[in-house]
Amino acid sequence: MGSEEIILGGIQLNKTYKTKERIVRPLQNIDFCLHEGEILGIVGESGSGKSTLLRVIACLEKADSGKLLLHGREYTGSSPSFAGRYMQMIFQDAYASFDPRMKMIDSLREAGRRNTRGAAGKNCDAAALREAGRRNTRGENSKDCDAAALRKPHRRGGTDDSRITEIVREVGLSEDLLWRRPRELSGGQCQRMSIARALCGGAEILLCDEITSALDVTTQAQVVQLLQRLRRKEKVSILFVSHDLALVGSLCDRIMVMKDGVCVEEGSSGKILGQPENEYTELLLKSLILL
Amino acid sequence: MKKIRSPRQKKKILKIRMAAAALAAMILVLTAVFAEAFAPNDPYKTSAALIRTAPCREFLFGTDNLGRCVFSRVLVGARTTISATVFLVAVSFLIGTIVGMLGGYFGGILDEVMMRIADVMLAFPQMVVAIAVAGILGGGLAGAMIALGITMWTGFARLARSHTLSIRNEPYIEAARLCGVSPVEILGRHILPNILAPVLTSALTQIGTTMIGISGLSFLGLGVVPPQAEWGSMISEARAYIQIAPWAVLFPALATILTIVVFNYLGDAVMEYREL
Amino acid sequence: MAKELLKIRNLYASYGEEPVLLDISFDIPEGGIFCIVGESGSGKSTLLKAVLGLDRVLVTGGDILYEGRSLPGMPDREHRKLLGREIGLIPQNPAGSFNPTRRLRAQIRETVESQGMAYSEKAAVEAFGAVGLTNPEKVLSSRPYELSGGMNQRIAIAAALLPEPRLLLCDEATSALDVVTAGAVVDELFSLSRSRNTALLMVTHHLGIAKRMSDRIGIMKDGQLIETGSTEEVLARPREEYTRRLLAAVPRLS
Repeated sequence: MGSEEIILGGIQLNKTYKTKERIVRPLQNIDFCLHEGEILGIVGESGSGKSTLLRVIACLEKADSGKLLLHGREYTGSSPSFAGRYMQMIFQDAYASFDPRMKMIDSLREAGRRNTRGAAGKNCDAAALREAGRRNTRGENSKDCDAAALRKPHRRGGTDDSRITEIVREVGLSEDLLWRRPRELSGGQCQRMSIARALCGGAEILLCDEITSALDVTTQAQVVQLLQRLRRKEKVSILFVSHDLALVGSLCDRIMVMKDGVCVEEGSSGKILGQPENEYTELLLKSLILL
Repeated sequence: MKKIRSPRQKKKILKIRMAAAALAAMILVLTAVFAEAFAPNDPYKTSAALIRTAPCREFLFGTDNLGRCVFSRVLVGARTTISATVFLVAVSFLIGTIVGMLGGYFGGILDEVMMRIADVMLAFPQMVVAIAVAGILGGGLAGAMIALGITMWTGFARLARSHTLSIRNEPYIEAARLCGVSPVEILGRHILPNILAPVLTSALTQIGTTMIGISGLSFLGLGVVPPQAEWGSMISEARAYIQIAPWAVLFPALATILTIVVFNYLGDAVMEYREL
Repeated sequence: MAKELLKIRNLYASYGEEPVLLDISFDIPEGGIFCIVGESGSGKSTLLKAVLGLDRVLVTGGDILYEGRSLPGMPDREHRKLLGREIGLIPQNPAGSFNPTRRLRAQIRETVESQGMAYSEKAAVEAFGAVGLTNPEKVLSSRPYELSGGMNQRIAIAAALLPEPRLLLCDEATSALDVVTAGAVVDELFSLSRSRNTALLMVTHHLGIAKRMSDRIGIMKDGQLIETGSTEEVLARPREEYTRRLLAAVPRLS
């Protein structure tokens, strides 16, 4: 599906830390690459190191050794802020990934602030929008004028509000939800919002960490469809971490199977599901409780 | 059958409690602020003819050894005690919260140094340190406040630090870091608003103890200097002739107890409401 | 046809003030496995709590009959006596039902004795062996925090099975487990139920588990059982639109 160009890569990543009782090695000589427009699945049980890998890629944790490459250039040891220009993390607990006291619109604006892609001019119309927000909290009957206010350009040198609205609609949400706080959304809505936030930040790579495991099956299916649509339309590349091999198999182009910090098998989805070579992969497949 | 209360009902009850406590505290603060307007007599006017008058219509709480109106002095003393307490708690809260947040978020040397200083402060009983410091500073309200504040900020710092530590690795903070939000902004926009409630609640519950502290120091002669009216020093002065004129001790003491109970009740109500 | 063990008749129940269950009816015969499938907020956990008489669940209408005796109408003491001994529960999160720092032997002994039965080490070892725990003696001497989630869940199952209950309630018994462990636990639960003729009332969001285990399933939505029937029939020919959507949403291996 994806093009041949490698957008993100890791070479010989290692990470070790000590707890009181033992030494944990969540990453042992991990290599990976993500092509442009590809969805790469990383499957493993808890403790396999799959989440650590994502956090290392996002520079939220540092690897002990190894190299990280972005568009062919090394970015090992960069700040999360730098990595965030290209990639955004989608967390398992969507609610926890938003400041509980902030309205969605503010979280999204914060993410979009430095996005140069959505930027244009600086003719602020912040006042009109703020006014719209104020009205929205008062009553339900003011939705029309809010929408009108939203359509007015509001630019702060980042993703402007009309673009935010566009993105929110694109992930399948109504812009009214922008004036709610995280807890006032459903789990699925909140997870869509966090995808919207990543897009507002101009991310071309989404790092998804078990993003559907807290969701109901029907909601999960919708989020998965959304990711597929984003890959097609927005050309985002996706690293999809999950413990559910069936889900990963139905979504991803390629799959990496991890166990105890080691990548035990890697290959196209068809190959991993059809002719697994590794024992552990077979065990995972056998354990699936399918319909 | 057992009556079951839904969380919403409980919340409603607690809200009423909280409002009642807040109202009482407001009344106390307003009384303190406008003490002079309410005072029927001049609190500093001595009169040889009216020494130790028992409570009557003119002097509701009686008069003291110098013939001063105890009621008026309690009112004016409220201003000294309450405003000194609130000011002291506010300053300690401010310093403690900032220090704790910085230490908790950045960690490292800064955190180590500040927390060790706090440990040293906490190694002594608060009142002992306060008495020693106030003694060195040589009395006066300002001295008493510094003496109490020197240990008080550490409580807020520890609380703010532990709350900061518990949320600094929350996904929303990490998401903000990925979005390129600067540390100062993360502290101000994301961490402060989210830790404010518990630290503020603790500040509310500190008001009672601080008031005891200030009154206590004044009682020992290390705080407010006579003739300025302050509950602790009033009790201290009048205690010499408690058998002749018990009212001169009783009413400032009652005022102290009432105020502490009101503020503690407010603190508890707010805390319970938040925990629900 | 076996005798009906649990009969739920037009059950209405509310949680606090909110009505949650609306007109629920189904039967479980002795040794039968009934699976309730629903998404979060459908009221499926409330249903279990109503049977257990737990928490703030108030039965406002209808009846729950266990061997013809009404559970909500029973005095509390009698109801409690049934729980554990005749009706067991496997919780979603076993960590919450054990004290993490006490040895399991003591905890299990206490539970068994509180149900008015004598504790026998042999029975405990056997029960642990039956749920696939190797080296049961060692497990009995360890503390829950030293063991993995999968092991704890197996122990919870063993503990629930120890008094040989006739009805076992499972609240998302495998959703906290890793895939490999979950698969194994589901299979063990199934074979135990079959070999001991224990009836199971399972609550899950996982249609796969329902398919693998249950004789009959009920699809629950917004407090109502919108569709019930034999597992095969419901999965192959769903009558309701919602059931179809639920089936379509499950990821499959292509």
